[in-house]
Amino acid sequence: MAAPTIAQTPRPLTAAETDALSQRQVKKHDVAIMLLHWFNAIVWLVELATGPALLTSSFRVAPWWYIQIVQGFFHSRANMLQFHIAVGITWIVVFVVYGTFGFRTYLKKEVLQREISLDGNDIQWLKIRILRLLGRSTEPLPPQGIYNAGQKLLALMVYAMVPVVMITGLIMTFHLIGTAAVGWAAAIHFAAVGAVVCGLIIHVYMGAVFPEEKPAFFSMITGTVNELYAYTNHFKWWKEVSRVRVEILHEFGPEGAATVSPGAPQKQGKPAEREKHQ
Amino acid sequence: MARYAMLIDLRKCVGCQACAVACDKEWDVPLGFARTHVQPTGVVGSFPKLASGFHVAHCNQCERPSCVAACPTGATHQSPDGIVRIDRGLCIGCGYCVEACPYDARYINPVINQADKCDFCAARLQRGLQPACVATCTAHAKYFGDLEDSNGEVFRMVYERGARRLQTAQVAVGPNVYYLGKKQDVDLVFAKFPPRAPRMAASSEFWSRLLKPLVLAAVGATFLGQAVAFFYQLATGEPDHESQEKT
Repeated sequence: MAAPTIAQTPRPLTAAETDALSQRQVKKHDVAIMLLHWFNAIVWLVELATGPALLTSSFRVAPWWYIQIVQGFFHSRANMLQFHIAVGITWIVVFVVYGTFGFRTYLKKEVLQREISLDGNDIQWLKIRILRLLGRSTEPLPPQGIYNAGQKLLALMVYAMVPVVMITGLIMTFHLIGTAAVGWAAAIHFAAVGAVVCGLIIHVYMGAVFPEEKPAFFSMITGTVNELYAYTNHFKWWKEVSRVRVEILHEFGPEGAATVSPGAPQKQGKPAEREKHQ
Repeated sequence: MARYAMLIDLRKCVGCQACAVACDKEWDVPLGFARTHVQPTGVVGSFPKLASGFHVAHCNQCERPSCVAACPTGATHQSPDGIVRIDRGLCIGCGYCVEACPYDARYINPVINQADKCDFCAARLQRGLQPACVATCTAHAKYFGDLEDSNGEVFRMVYERGARRLQTAQVAVGPNVYYLGKKQDVDLVFAKFPPRAPRMAASSEFWSRLLKPLVLAAVGATFLGQAVAFFYQLATGEPDHESQEKT
């Protein structure tokens, strides 16, 4: 017997459906990803606090008073540079460990595709999102996957720029390749960080300030979002989650459906098989 | 506060290179590089109007040092006594200062991968010693002292005996190394070894003139955009998201 079908586009919900959805949590992030996210956030915070304070003369970007404060905190500019380097190297080591051990889980093609691959819906989403932010449109946003187009754009830029920041940092720290390379590495390091900072400004605003994305912010702490948010903001992902739940509900009843982990539907199996893995 | 300067008496210098050897020894300068070296002009003119001299090349501790302006981290800085120093904890070895120096007095030390140059033996000065090259000069052709000390030998030679410094109208960076000698000999040294215009490394130019304004504009525009969105959010009020979705 075929499983019941799920709607292709979100529809207005009844009060009962809204209540039901808002009370159910679906898993969005693994603990490893949450830890990495906040580690990354702390690293960027301290590196962005010290990096601009290291630049002087015609390369200076921070006001003098700020440079003096940061410099005073470290007692000397040399200490500040050593701290900047130490944090940067720790950051690289953590990412290498993450890449080595999490390669099969987090860096495989399907995962990367849902994180950075933009489709027609995404482009449309970007247009409408910007117009809505400016109060120029009330058009509903097209359905999105687990990450929306804005998050995908940020991920694309971060995936492109982070290796550049790391490699240029290593070239400068260990004076690799040669003097000219160090000179170019310093310039490229600055530009790549600048690009990430543009993305971070939007990311922090959308994550921490923008009201519609509050659940996304808290999902980076709890690992879960309520289904209502998934339904309204990430409908395509919600469909995947629901399809799995509906299939399991259909086959095993409510007990089976209750244990569904929507973040990794490909790992689902019969309840007995899952227990064996645990 | 002291204002240190060095003076070379070209009438005494015999080009023996003892100063260069002493410097190499004092500072462990790697082979193929030098913090100071002596360059002969060769003999020019016809007898009996002959001229010759030696250019004793090292950092001139300029009053307006182009290397300080070129350093992105502030590693190269000028201390209140006028000596241009390199902070070993800050130098990343980018080589921008090497390009900027009009006297080619700097090099990247391949052992420490950092810029290196003469600093008038600042470490020896702290111990009350003269710079190694001055202490070693076999002909006593090098003098070191404080230009603020009116009783000092260097003060008298610079201000009373008309010592000159190697700079041109185009490159007027205020070097604190002075030359004394017969006019034609000093003229010959200055003509043979004129300072070049300070250069910017291509990457340095690309960074400070293009990348920096671009990045600042991009970050500023993004911040402004988000600020507009934030104030719009404040003006319109924060909707009750969940109740909105129920409709």
